[in-house]
Amino acid sequence: MDREYGDRSSGEDQNCADENQVNTPTRRGVRNRTKPKKYGDFLNLSPTKRKVRDDSPSTNDEDFEEGITSQKPTALFSNDDVEGQDIFKFKSRHTKHDLQNKVKAAISNSPKVMVSPLNTPRRKIHGGLLHSPMTKVSEATPKQVKDIMRKRIIREVDSDSNDSDFSGSSSDFVPEESDNEESDSKSSSSSSEEDEEHQQPKKTTAKIQITKNKDRAKAKDSEYIVTPDNYFLMNSTKKIATSDHTLARLKNLNLDDMGGKDIQMSAEHKNRIIELNQSYEQLFNRWLYVLSENFNIILYGIGSKRAILQQFQMQKLQDFPCIVVNGFFPSLTIKSILETIVVDLLENTHVPSNLGDVINLIDTQLNDNDVEIFLIVHNIDGVMLRNAKAQATLSSLSQIKNIHTIATIDHINAPLLWDHSKLSKFKFTWWDVTTFLPYTEETSFENSIMTQRSGALQLSSLRSVYQSLTTNAKGIFNVIIKHQLENLKLTHYQGLPFKDLYSKCREQFLVSSDLALRAQLTEFLDHKLVKMKRSYDGSENLVIPIENMLLQQFLEQQDS
Amino acid sequence: MDSTVSVSKGVFLFPNGFTRTKAHKKKSKSLLFDKFFKKSTWHFAFKRNWDYIENEIKELHQRTYSILLNDIVNYVKSFYGDSETDGLEGIIPSATLLTGVNQPDHVSQFMALLQKIRDEVTPHVAMVHSQDAPTLKHLVENTVWQLMYGHEALDFDDEEFHDNVKQSKKLKKNQCTMKLLQSWYNSNYTNISPKKKKHRSSNRLQVVIIPDFESFNCSVLQDFVMIMSSYVSSIPIVFVFGVATSVSALHKSFPYHVSSKLLIKVFHSHSSPVYMNQVLEDIFLSHTSPFHLSGKAFELLTDVFLFYDFSVTGLIQSIKYCMMDHYYGDNVKSLCCEREKIEEAVMKLSSDDLESIRQLSSFRPFLEAQQDCETRIGLFEDDNFFREVLVKEMNKLHDYLYTFYLCVRLLLAFVKDIPKNIIGKSIREIYTKCAVECITITPAFKECMQLIHFQSQVKLAESIKSALKVVNTALQIFSPVKPLRSTPTKNNLNNITLNSDVGEGFVKTVRVHLLMFLRQIEHANTEATVLCNESEDLENDTENVPGNRYKLKEKLLKAARVDKIQSEFDMVRSRFISYLEEMFTKGLQPPHTQTFHEIMFFTDVGNVRKQIVGSPRGALHTALSNPVHYLQCTCCHLPSPDSVTDTLPDVCLAYKLHRECGKHINLYDWLQAFAAVLEPQDDETRQQDTTVQIRFTRAVAELQFLGFIKSSKRKTDHVMRLTW
Repeated sequence: MDREYGDRSSGEDQNCADENQVNTPTRRGVRNRTKPKKYGDFLNLSPTKRKVRDDSPSTNDEDFEEGITSQKPTALFSNDDVEGQDIFKFKSRHTKHDLQNKVKAAISNSPKVMVSPLNTPRRKIHGGLLHSPMTKVSEATPKQVKDIMRKRIIREVDSDSNDSDFSGSSSDFVPEESDNEESDSKSSSSSSEEDEEHQQPKKTTAKIQITKNKDRAKAKDSEYIVTPDNYFLMNSTKKIATSDHTLARLKNLNLDDMGGKDIQMSAEHKNRIIELNQSYEQLFNRWLYVLSENFNIILYGIGSKRAILQQFQMQKLQDFPCIVVNGFFPSLTIKSILETIVVDLLENTHVPSNLGDVINLIDTQLNDNDVEIFLIVHNIDGVMLRNAKAQATLSSLSQIKNIHTIATIDHINAPLLWDHSKLSKFKFTWWDVTTFLPYTEETSFENSIMTQRSGALQLSSLRSVYQSLTTNAKGIFNVIIKHQLENLKLTHYQGLPFKDLYSKCREQFLVSSDLALRAQLTEFLDHKLVKMKRSYDGSENLVIPIENMLLQQFLEQQDS
Repeated sequence: MDSTVSVSKGVFLFPNGFTRTKAHKKKSKSLLFDKFFKKSTWHFAFKRNWDYIENEIKELHQRTYSILLNDIVNYVKSFYGDSETDGLEGIIPSATLLTGVNQPDHVSQFMALLQKIRDEVTPHVAMVHSQDAPTLKHLVENTVWQLMYGHEALDFDDEEFHDNVKQSKKLKKNQCTMKLLQSWYNSNYTNISPKKKKHRSSNRLQVVIIPDFESFNCSVLQDFVMIMSSYVSSIPIVFVFGVATSVSALHKSFPYHVSSKLLIKVFHSHSSPVYMNQVLEDIFLSHTSPFHLSGKAFELLTDVFLFYDFSVTGLIQSIKYCMMDHYYGDNVKSLCCEREKIEEAVMKLSSDDLESIRQLSSFRPFLEAQQDCETRIGLFEDDNFFREVLVKEMNKLHDYLYTFYLCVRLLLAFVKDIPKNIIGKSIREIYTKCAVECITITPAFKECMQLIHFQSQVKLAESIKSALKVVNTALQIFSPVKPLRSTPTKNNLNNITLNSDVGEGFVKTVRVHLLMFLRQIEHANTEATVLCNESEDLENDTENVPGNRYKLKEKLLKAARVDKIQSEFDMVRSRFISYLEEMFTKGLQPPHTQTFHEIMFFTDVGNVRKQIVGSPRGALHTALSNPVHYLQCTCCHLPSPDSVTDTLPDVCLAYKLHRECGKHINLYDWLQAFAAVLEPQDDETRQQDTTVQIRFTRAVAELQFLGFIKSSKRKTDHVMRLTW
């Protein structure tokens, strides 16, 4: 724009304009242009050379751009890499039907599903178990009306989910109740089918549905760069837009025989997994070779890698001192690792407090004794090792020439543990050892989300402690439980104030004095049956740190 | 072996017969790994070659560090030299070494510095890393202990003496204080008669090296400097700080009252890309290296360096890994060695090894090139004949390498000054281009030649001179090899005649040609015999008459029609360029065109990439979303990566379902979806069947273990997704 203006005006005007621009360099773009323009002014005096003038700035620009283009890695990435977007893309908001659709697609694909007319009525009867607004449409309504109703609801819900926060009342998973009905009605109401197609896939249209989904996913991918807003949209809402179902709906909540059963797996998978794992044994010699050159080994991939490492230890490391560390062990400390090496293996009396000293000590003693030890760390990304100090220690240990480290990682973010100085000490070589074996030992210490909720362990331990109490103590405990359950609806339950407890206990002749009650309470506190909270006004409140539902269950068991 | 499962213990020891006292008696030196590999020739060859490279690297280190280290050492020496009254009251002289960001690389640099100071200045040097000094107490203890005893620990390797001295004299670390240092210093140095003192004046310097300044706790260092400064009047102390970022880091962490106690002088070290180029050019990208990386592999390693870690030690380690992989388990690779050892190595090969050489893909073109039927048969049947040919070909390969690397350097000499850096401006860049494809047919190369075509006389003469330098140094390196080489080549005289386009002969002709062109260019006449004087007059006329477009057009057309008369220089230049093109086409044939290149060049990039870079997340994702990739089963082939079937392993199924959810996942709904996929028919049995529930529980626990979800307190029975 500026340039055009300059072309037309006389030299004087241009000078003015230039000055203006120099004085007020508002944007960078404007500023950049002044130079070629001045050059143009100069050339303007000889109108015959205008052509040259037009060319020169453009070539300049080209040069500039050339200089800017940054270098890109060429060999780092290859075609068989997993596409980053596949794992880390910003997803647009998930609707509650995603899960449902997926399941439907899967079911309709699998050959197991036989459309048997017998199935339908039974499901209708028991489907009531899974309440959702859609299934509440009464049985009595004629099918046509029902269909129309459903469509409307669906449309509404759909539009809802598109532009506003939908309330968290309905289920993510709506059991496909009327699937078969619809296929029955196909002949009668073919006109309604087309409308439904996009929402309620039928067996016949299932394939199309899948491809449609795919297309939509593709579209999402392409808009990925343009709308990072998706991320903020996803995280902006405080409300959790999922259904209110809880696990309490399950019939058999507590599964005591968790560990007893083997994972069900098809015979083919079993064989394949065995084959896969045997194929890794061919790597053992290579690992030894790599270790001998003072590299360390890290194994990654789905599935427990303990068996593989144990195999490796059995086959190859029989003659060498090994130290096996269970990184997933919840009360593992880095000190215990050092102690094992320094005290148990090297037979010193104590471990020096300073890390550098320990490393030096180990290094010199191993050198003196001319022995090479193998440090096998199952889950170097284990909870107790997820701190800078532990990793620094491990990396310094691995750096010692006579210590060879073989470690495994499982957590997706495990590589974030190490900065470049630690990595350079570790000198890892990475090996993909995907085993698909169950993480039996690794997860055994973990409080599983499912079992923790069901709380079988808590319940039984509560019971056993309770049984050892005196009758009076039992009574006191019952008072606290009952109070807690009565106030179950309170969002901020503060606990039972000590004074109230005392008066209640006195009423029931459970205690005679303040002191006696306190003596009882200390016992509860010691067993962590009860927690004492101090409120702002200084009064003591008593809470039982156990799910209300469990307490209810406990009470029922006691009563019966 | 369930002995490693315990609810009370996380660490298990398997001494496997090792006890300290026993091992002390029987010195079974390095029985460990050699047992597995000792007998194999490839391992031997690898060891020898790697040792060679390691030595080279060490030498290079010393060369690159020496200037900088000398500067620092001289600076350190200059203090407390002659007289006590240096005018430094409470001020500690300190050298600040700006190292650049990559700290792991600098360990060796500081070790070299430590050694040098110990050798040349004073035995009392302490180097304290941040990890050893979390508090002031530790820092002081460490420093004082090292100052007092550090040199002894290194000097006396004799064990008995070591023990005796240690037990009698050495204090425990936790007894070390500054007071102690002072009294120790006084008893050792100030009591000596002034005569003696003069002799070894720098000997009593106390140097404290802090290699990773930024990692220290600021206040600890501040206090440390303050304490030291109070002793500096009685003990001569010098600091050396290693700073990774910039001097401002020093100023930022030291307030005025601390920094005023320091006399700071800044030293700069090389940036790591410069260092990397040096390592690569001097060691790996030369014909003396026993092992060569193919273009792709080389590109990978430099990419890892440039885009991931900037660590030269890391790069060297990766190259080492490539080399290990190259040699692993393959006796044929023992041929990958220096020229003198080839014959010996070839003789050692068994017939099996020879057979595997015949399997190499580059052998086929070689075989087809043989016209003679008998030689063809001989190559297959007669091992001895094949050995002979092999020696010949390997020598040829070495010759080829020699010319190839020389040509790369020559190309750099000509190309580095031309604008835009089309091919690159360092040897490694040009090497990657040349090694991947035949560079002389690429447009980039043609453009370069075009650009050289526009170069001025002076510029061209300069680049020829620099190219001559390259050739001369190459010949110098080559000459000592010559006498040794002559013995094997004598045996097969017939190949020497073929050798004129590779090897030394080639280089010599290049040199002759370059010299000739240089002379010609320097003496060439640049003035073109200009014939178009008249037209210039015409131009002047037209310029005076503005707006006469017709005339201008005519003039331009005329100018275009007039042939450019070439000057002498132009002619020489174009001849020179055609020579260059010819020479480079000859010399820069990519390695993969050579016979038996597989033996010398490492090509298996894909494999090594996995081990060096590693992609744990990618592996997890692939395994979970497409288990067929690992299991190779028939049942789980999926139409699209997003779809699910009931045959999938439980974790995969749960993973796929969880990807359909938002940030929060309702466990109950998730379970129902899971159950519906596994047992689609029936709600009732689904409810009753606990196995599904158990399977789901286990899958969820595993996903939690893998870090995809975590429990959430926001809503009952909900979990949070940790990935998007």
